[in-house]
Formats: sequence, C-alpha cells, structure tokens
Amino acid sequence: MIQFNDVSKVYNGSVKAVDNVSFNVEDGEFVILVGPSGCGKTTLLRMVNQLEEITEGEIILNNQSVKELNKIEMRRKIGYVIQSNGLFPNMTIEKNVMIVPDLLGWDRKKRQDRFNHLMELIGLHPDEFRKRYPHELSGGQQQRIGVARALAADPPVMLMDEPFGALDPIIRNRLQEEFLQIQKEVKKTILFVSHDIDEAVKMGDKIALLRDGEIMQYNRPEEILNHPKNEFVSKFVGQDRVLKSTSLYSVKDLDNEVGLSPYDKSAHIKAVQEDTSLRIILSMLLNQEADQLVIEDGNGNRKGSLTLEHVEKFLQAKVGENADGVALQHE
Amino acid sequence: MEWHYNMNRNKRISLIVKVLFWAGLIIFFSWAFTNGMFQPIFENTGTFFNLLGEHMLLVLISGSLAIFTAIPAGIFLTRPQFQKAEFFAVNLANLGQTIPSLAILALAMGFIGIGMEAALVALFAYSVLPVLQNTIAGINSVDEDTKDAARGMGLTNMQILWRIELPNAAYSIIAGVRTALVMNIGTAALAYLIGGGGFGVWIFSGIELFDNAYLISGAVPVSMLAIAVDYLFRGMQLILVPKGLRLARQAVS
Repeated sequence: MIQFNDVSKVYNGSVKAVDNVSFNVEDGEFVILVGPSGCGKTTLLRMVNQLEEITEGEIILNNQSVKELNKIEMRRKIGYVIQSNGLFPNMTIEKNVMIVPDLLGWDRKKRQDRFNHLMELIGLHPDEFRKRYPHELSGGQQQRIGVARALAADPPVMLMDEPFGALDPIIRNRLQEEFLQIQKEVKKTILFVSHDIDEAVKMGDKIALLRDGEIMQYNRPEEILNHPKNEFVSKFVGQDRVLKSTSLYSVKDLDNEVGLSPYDKSAHIKAVQEDTSLRIILSMLLNQEADQLVIEDGNGNRKGSLTLEHVEKFLQAKVGENADGVALQHE
Repeated sequence: MEWHYNMNRNKRISLIVKVLFWAGLIIFFSWAFTNGMFQPIFENTGTFFNLLGEHMLLVLISGSLAIFTAIPAGIFLTRPQFQKAEFFAVNLANLGQTIPSLAILALAMGFIGIGMEAALVALFAYSVLPVLQNTIAGINSVDEDTKDAARGMGLTNMQILWRIELPNAAYSIIAGVRTALVMNIGTAALAYLIGGGGFGVWIFSGIELFDNAYLISGAVPVSMLAIAVDYLFRGMQLILVPKGLRLARQAVS
C-alpha cells in the first residue's frame, strides 16, 4: 500500500508544485494521476521513488516512510516506466530488460528464464529480440520493452509516467489493452500519470484528478464521470462525460439495475453478449442495426431484450444516485 | 528518391576524391624515390630511428598524460556538483585551442627552458584540450531521460557513469583522443625549435639547407605516423564503442 500523508513539494521556497496531498493506494490497485500539465502529477509520482525530495509530509510504502528507506534499494523494488522509454542505447534488449535483476545479482539461468517469461508476457518473441538494440525497434515495441524492464525483478509497486503518451493513437490503444491484460495477471500496485481522461477512465481502478498541486477528486472512474465534485472536474472530464461513462458499464450492470424486457420473437433480432459494454450497445441502438437487441449470457441463453429507453433509465439512475449522500448541484 | 540520389552523388564524390588522393600519392612517391629523396633514411638509418624514437616518445608521453588527466577531469566536471566549474573549463578549453601551437611551445620554453621537458609540457597542454572538450561534450550528450530511467531503477551514480554515460560517450571521447594525437604528432615536429628533438630536426635542417631530401625524409614519416595513429584509433572506435551505438550511428548516416 502507498499512503500519501499531507505531502507537499515546494520549489525554491515559494513555488508549490504539490500542495498537501493525502490519499491511499491499496495493494493491487491501479490508480491514475490525471490533470492538466503543471498540475504536479509527475512530481507526485517522482516523490514516491525519491527522484524528487519530499518537502513536507510523508509517503508511506508498506508501513515505512520512504525517507527512511535506502534510495537505491527501494528503487530496485519499484518498477519505473517513463514516456520516452529511456532504454539504454548501448545495451541489447536482453541487457536492458534484465538490468535490475543483474544489479540484484540474479544468476544467469534465472535471468534467462525471467527474460523469456517477460517477453512472452508483452507479446514479443524472446529469441528474436534478445540480441537486438533499442534503435532497431518501433516506438510501440520500445515501450513494451520499457514495461518489461520495469516488471523484470517482479516489483510489487510500479510507477508509470505517461508510458503510452508518445505513441500514435492506434498503437497506444493496443498497448493500453495489452497492459490491462498484463495487470490482470501480475496484479501490481500501480501509480500511473496521464493527461488523458479517456486513458484514465479506461485504465484506472481509481482516478486522482489534480489541479495546481491539489487533489480535486479521488474516486472510481464512474464516480468521477457521474458525480464530478466541482466545476473543474466536470470541465476536465468533458461535457460528454455520461457517454464516457457508458464504456464502464456492461449489459449485466444494466440488467442488475433496471432489468431487461421480454423479447419479441417475430421482430428482427440481433444477439449480444451480456458482458458487452454499454457504449457499444448505445452505438448499436443508435445505428438501428436491429429492431431489438437480445441479450445472451455466456451459455447462449437469451435473457431478454433492450432498447434505448433502458439505457436512458440506467444512466439516469447512475447519475442520480449519490454515493456520498450529498445533493448534487447541477451546472 | 531525392535522398537516394544525394547519397549516390556523395558516394561518387568521395570515390573521386579517394582516387585522386591515391594517384597523387603514387606520383609523389615515385618522384621522391627516383630522385633519391629518401636517401637520408637509407644512409643514416641509425639517426632515422633515433629521431623516430624521440618523436614517438614525445607523442607517447605527452599524449598519454593528456589522456589520463583529461578524461578523468572531464568526468569530474560533468558531475552535477561541479556544474559551475564545467562552464569555466569548457570556455577555457575553447579559448586554449585558439592559441597557436608555436606560441604554446614558445611559452613553455620561456618557463622551463630549452629541451625535451619544455616540449613535453607544451605538447601535453595542447593535447589536453580536445580530449577534455570531447569528454565533456560526450557525457553531456547522453539523453537525460535515459539517465532518469537509470536513476529511477536504482542504479548508483557510479553504475550510471560506467554502464550508461561512458559507453554512450565513448565515440566522442575516442574521437577527441584521435584529434589530440594527430595534432600532437604534427606539433611534435616543432619541438626541434625548442631543442626537443624528433623529426623536426631533419625537417628544419632541410628547410635551412634547401635540402629537399632531408625535408621529405623528415616530413613523410611524420605524416605517415599521424595517418597510422588515426587509423589505429578508428579501429579502437570499432572495438570500444558499443555495438548498439555503432549500428544506430550507421542507421542515421
């Protein structure tokens, strides 16, 4: 677990980059720090592995204040990925990936096995890339290697500073998907910096939205989208936030909340799996691909049908419900 | 296509230059041999080897001292705590290189007197600067993000220096050494003027006596020495610069 207790960062005695930030990241949780540039998200991230000094407050990593830990040792136990990948041009891919295990003194066999495993995890062929050099790889491949390198010594915590920010949208999308798959397998505690709210919504278990070094809201993506705490949050997530939130729910969620209707066998039917996201459902309904969307569960049993009205009702319920029990102001 | 065309044109030009160079060299040597221009080497073989020994000793001592002081100095000056000193040193090195070699020799003679020591000091001072400059430039050219990633993964400052900074700066540092030694070999010919010995003895005797044979028997070995050292260090670059960087350089050019 990473705990931030009243953490501040002051530059040159006056400029506050991070202002009294407190929040917790639970074990295995994927937390996105998001905000406009200059909001202090990168500084906050870099204070965890002490690349930036903490001016005030404490960051607690597994019940120990990071200030008390040996900088070199603690960094070797934290995976670190940066935007420009930072691969070492003088080293082969294998040496790059295995740098931390090498520093930790792993033996050759163990290193080799780990390299093969990691390369398979990120979907690159180990033998094909082992002896190659960073400049020979595409941007997407380099960034995958950057992720593999951070995972090399199996650190419990990962810090990622806009790891997919420099990639083109198609490759970025693919790497995001891949990384979510990897995270399902490795279940790291991740702190991830992004300036892109869509990336944050897609990737994070929780989102911490920052402005001028302060946390504006820290919550699950659907809460941030449906119940923005103030005007800044609502503006930052965008006016289409309800549409964005549809990608977070599946038909199953809708079924649980508002229920499905019986379906009409005579009408033109299109069958959809119940784990399909509402965003896709909405798009299908608006496309008028069929008179009815019939929902099937994993075994092909038809559970009921669904119209735009259902989606509307569901979203109203979601936006209307208020987790904190505080009345929402309409902006 | 434009790019390919240019590359072909550049290749053609460099081929023409090479052919002209070797043709000129063959013409020169056949002229020199038929006119007995290398006679002094065959007649005074003992003196020739003495001069060669002196010349190489001048270069070897001053050059290696320069390398072994300038590279560590460059490393120190690029550490964050010496940033101000680095600025000072780089400017001093730039300024120092504008001083003519003859002036440095004269200065050394003024302080130390006539002889090999004065020549060594002058040659040392002249060779330190390019090595220092290239060491600093090479280390500073290492990508900040690469160093940041290294630091973030828990490499110590020493490990960053040896595993990241020096390998990535190797090309530039060796290029500096190459420049320094080639210049050193040429400048060592002037050592004669302050009693330092070397091939300058024959070159300047040849000039004073209007004796082309002595002039050429001194000048040609100096040139060949410089070319040999240049090639030697090109070879060193192949060995010492990490393969990945060499490939990257080829890919760019």
